[in-house]
Amino acid sequence: MTHLPIIVVALYLATAFALPLLGRVKKLHTGYFSLCIATAGLVMSLLTLFYVAREGTFSYFPGDWPPPVGIELSVDWVTVLMHLTINLIGLLVLFYCIEDLSSEVRPGHETWYYTLFFLLMASLNALAMAFDMFTVFVFTEICTLAACALVAIKPKALCVEAAFKYLILSTLGSGMLLLGTSLVYMVTGHLNMGLIGQLLPQAIDLYPLNILIALGLFIIGLGIKSALFPLHTWLPDAHSSAPTPSSALLSGLVVKLFIIVVGRIIFQVFGSELFLMIPIPEVILLFATFGIFAGSLMAIAQTDIKRMLAYSSVAQVCYIYMGMALVSQTGIQGGLLHVFNHAVMKSLLFLAAGAFIYKTGIRKIEDLVGIGYRMPLTMAAFSVGALSMVGIPGFSGFISKLTLAFGALEAESPFFVVVIIISSLLNAVYYLPIVLRGFFGRPATEFQWDKLPLLIIAPVLALAVINIFFGIFPGSLQELARLAAETWLP
Amino acid sequence: MNGEFYNYLPLWATLLPVLATIPLFFIERRSPMFRDFFAIAVSGLTFLTVAIMYPYIAAHGTIGVSYPQVFPPFGISFQVDLLGYLLALIASAVWFLATLYSRVYMQHEGGGNRFYPFLLLSLGGCIGVFTASDFFSLFVFFELMSLSAYVLVVHEETEAAMAAGYKYLILTLIGGLALFFGIVIAYELAGNVDIRPGHFLFTEHTRLAFVAFLSFLVGFGMKMGIFPMHVWLPDAHPVAPSPASALLSGIMLKTGAYGLLRVVFNIYGADFIQEAGWHIILLVLATITIFLGSAVAIAQPDIKRRLAYSSIGQMGYILLGIGLLTVTGLQGGIFHIFSHAVMKSTLFFAAGAIIYKTGKRRVAEMKGIGYQLPVTLACFSIASFAMIGIPPLNGFISKLLLSMGSLDAGMPFFVVLLIVSSLMNGIYYLPIVINAYFGAKPDEEKMGGWRRLFTELKPSMLIPICLLALACLIFGLFPGNFPLKWAEIIATMLIGGG
Repeated sequence: MTHLPIIVVALYLATAFALPLLGRVKKLHTGYFSLCIATAGLVMSLLTLFYVAREGTFSYFPGDWPPPVGIELSVDWVTVLMHLTINLIGLLVLFYCIEDLSSEVRPGHETWYYTLFFLLMASLNALAMAFDMFTVFVFTEICTLAACALVAIKPKALCVEAAFKYLILSTLGSGMLLLGTSLVYMVTGHLNMGLIGQLLPQAIDLYPLNILIALGLFIIGLGIKSALFPLHTWLPDAHSSAPTPSSALLSGLVVKLFIIVVGRIIFQVFGSELFLMIPIPEVILLFATFGIFAGSLMAIAQTDIKRMLAYSSVAQVCYIYMGMALVSQTGIQGGLLHVFNHAVMKSLLFLAAGAFIYKTGIRKIEDLVGIGYRMPLTMAAFSVGALSMVGIPGFSGFISKLTLAFGALEAESPFFVVVIIISSLLNAVYYLPIVLRGFFGRPATEFQWDKLPLLIIAPVLALAVINIFFGIFPGSLQELARLAAETWLP
Repeated sequence: MNGEFYNYLPLWATLLPVLATIPLFFIERRSPMFRDFFAIAVSGLTFLTVAIMYPYIAAHGTIGVSYPQVFPPFGISFQVDLLGYLLALIASAVWFLATLYSRVYMQHEGGGNRFYPFLLLSLGGCIGVFTASDFFSLFVFFELMSLSAYVLVVHEETEAAMAAGYKYLILTLIGGLALFFGIVIAYELAGNVDIRPGHFLFTEHTRLAFVAFLSFLVGFGMKMGIFPMHVWLPDAHPVAPSPASALLSGIMLKTGAYGLLRVVFNIYGADFIQEAGWHIILLVLATITIFLGSAVAIAQPDIKRRLAYSSIGQMGYILLGIGLLTVTGLQGGIFHIFSHAVMKSTLFFAAGAIIYKTGKRRVAEMKGIGYQLPVTLACFSIASFAMIGIPPLNGFISKLLLSMGSLDAGMPFFVVLLIVSSLMNGIYYLPIVINAYFGAKPDEEKMGGWRRLFTELKPSMLIPICLLALACLIFGLFPGNFPLKWAEIIATMLIGGG
């Protein structure tokens, strides 16, 4: 059982490389084949969850080489939560891919898309459990390249431009990550996070500058990759121009994993004591607060629905950063809850928006008038996502906001509760008009059902159901997030 | 607390209308007539469910169940005491009458397929507010009710309706978020947000406690329509279809008043508020609200808009009753919650009947309308007289109690305020009545003699109007009636420590 997490990564990598070959086999539909693999991945991460719940968390050493020499993969509660999120969202997005891709990429490129998809999924799964700076770097690179390619695969100049921007900035981030890693390695002689963490308290007296600069590099480098305001500039272009499934993956999963890496570096390498010594939390909180407002305000100004969703991601990512930077257990719990909830909400919104585009070709928000009569189920699912974003009780977004608010009060800074509240209102200002335009304000056109392919409507509805379920019965998820938060801040 | 069947009654009263929307969704695609009857049956059943709670409440004090696994860490829980019961009873009764009234009225509005599900959803939310046993559950149902009511407000989908609806939605969200803020603070400081007698969440005068008080005031005040949070009300209430306006003005505003009652007497306690002097805030707001509502109502040419402004003034009375912190004043306030619900629904139903029958909305156009719709106008007149506070009607009793409460509190100024505002009520209600009867010569043709007296409207519209007008009379004529007695018990209980 302990091998399962690494098997997932290996399986995905193997599938990624096997797919181009399998694509040559005439009778094999690569899409359905990919679905089987992704389902297996989800089952394995569920099994890991049950295993960890029964036997406790563990560290995995590939080839049984212990840390100073070998690699360490930490299968703790954070990993479990992230694996579950990645594989669940990935699977649902893959369902959507099968019908949607034909309208988004060049004919015959679908198989390449699945290859990139599995490369991305493998790297995300690995990033979630990597407990080794160099492993983090390697999979960061794989993830970045796969993500850029997933944007550029759409045959449009806009996508290539956005992907290029993404690539340049992301590579800059990777460089910073590598530089930071080498600075830390110079001081401590280790790459393993646990060992670095043990040595840092002594090292900081001897080489304070090295460590400070390394911390700065980590935060900025990973900040670029996770679109921490004001390093977010690549995100709106990349996420809005990408094919819909890529947008859902990028907004829902990719940026989150880098936040998890930041969290690991901050809490498990540097330790929260050190973290509190240097005013890094205040700086992140400042950025996050500005990001929440700036992201929402820019989202209000957008006319393109996918671009608006992308800007909304900028704001939502800052919630997660805020939860972590509050340095209270409930705050981190709220942040991690939001990782899951936002992944569900945002992929739901992107997929629903993609379904509008697939069916009607409308991208402009003002043209979506009366869409609720033509595509009622899709619009209802979109409304679920929108209400969840606003934070209406009964939807999962409310739960993470509530937990974040408790976290802010626990950290004795009620100011951030006010930030959450004002930003909820701003979310309402740009999400609700879409819902209202969709359903009201014009004499009902002829009501009809969606008439979408099952593989497009099913994942959208499944995400909406997941959202409502975890909005009303969030107990198990909250417990999972609490355990994960305890890993970081006991 | 779980176990006996009667403990589940509040749960069912809340869930029944909410769950009924699912079969309703399928029924309405088949037959509009069956849809109407189904909606009426559901709201009638809800009323019955609420009504049969009474013996158990009389025997056990409170009944309810809790489900901690939903929405942890708070849980959803139901608990009905006398105050919640009184309001749930009047809410479900008026809702039933409104559904009955809608059957004919909505035929000329159209769009019933959207109207009825949301009417039932907001009924569920409203009953949930009155039967919730902690602030979080209350908040959840409050949001359910407010958001479903949006659909009722924008029903006509005209530009004015959309604009009013948007204003309503944004301000409702602001109110909801303010409530959220207050609840989060209360939970963080006290560890729970339960509504229990003698269980105060705040015991120290801290800045955070004051911030929480203000957030609660904004949250519930927004719904209640007190100055300066009233701006959505005069736009939203008139554009809604009349049965919805009656519910918005008559019942849904009261959820705000109910919440504020709970905040003042259950979260903080009368003594705490008195010591802190925060009731002054309430009293000042009440004064401004009463004046503003009544004064602006005078200038309104549109009948429904006039009624909406009048609601603002009337909510000021209730706020005054809460802010006085005396037993008599509070009794007046609580009784006014009840009587205003009856009066305002009568008025909106009657106004709706006028619009339905004649299409006239402007007060100036309604000359001689009393001959066309004699019974409707008679009911309208009774309710207007009750609003003004003319003796044998229920409005008089609440004003009397409020005045006595002001004297008890040593603030005779408020008696003057009540008198002046009664005068202003007279100024804007009486012209409608006078115009209707004396504005034009009796028109025998239109009147059609006594035989046609009760055929002016379909019975399903006329009966709710008559019943409610009768209620105005009965609850005024017999001062020993149950709402008045209950209001006294509740007021004594609340002042004495929740």
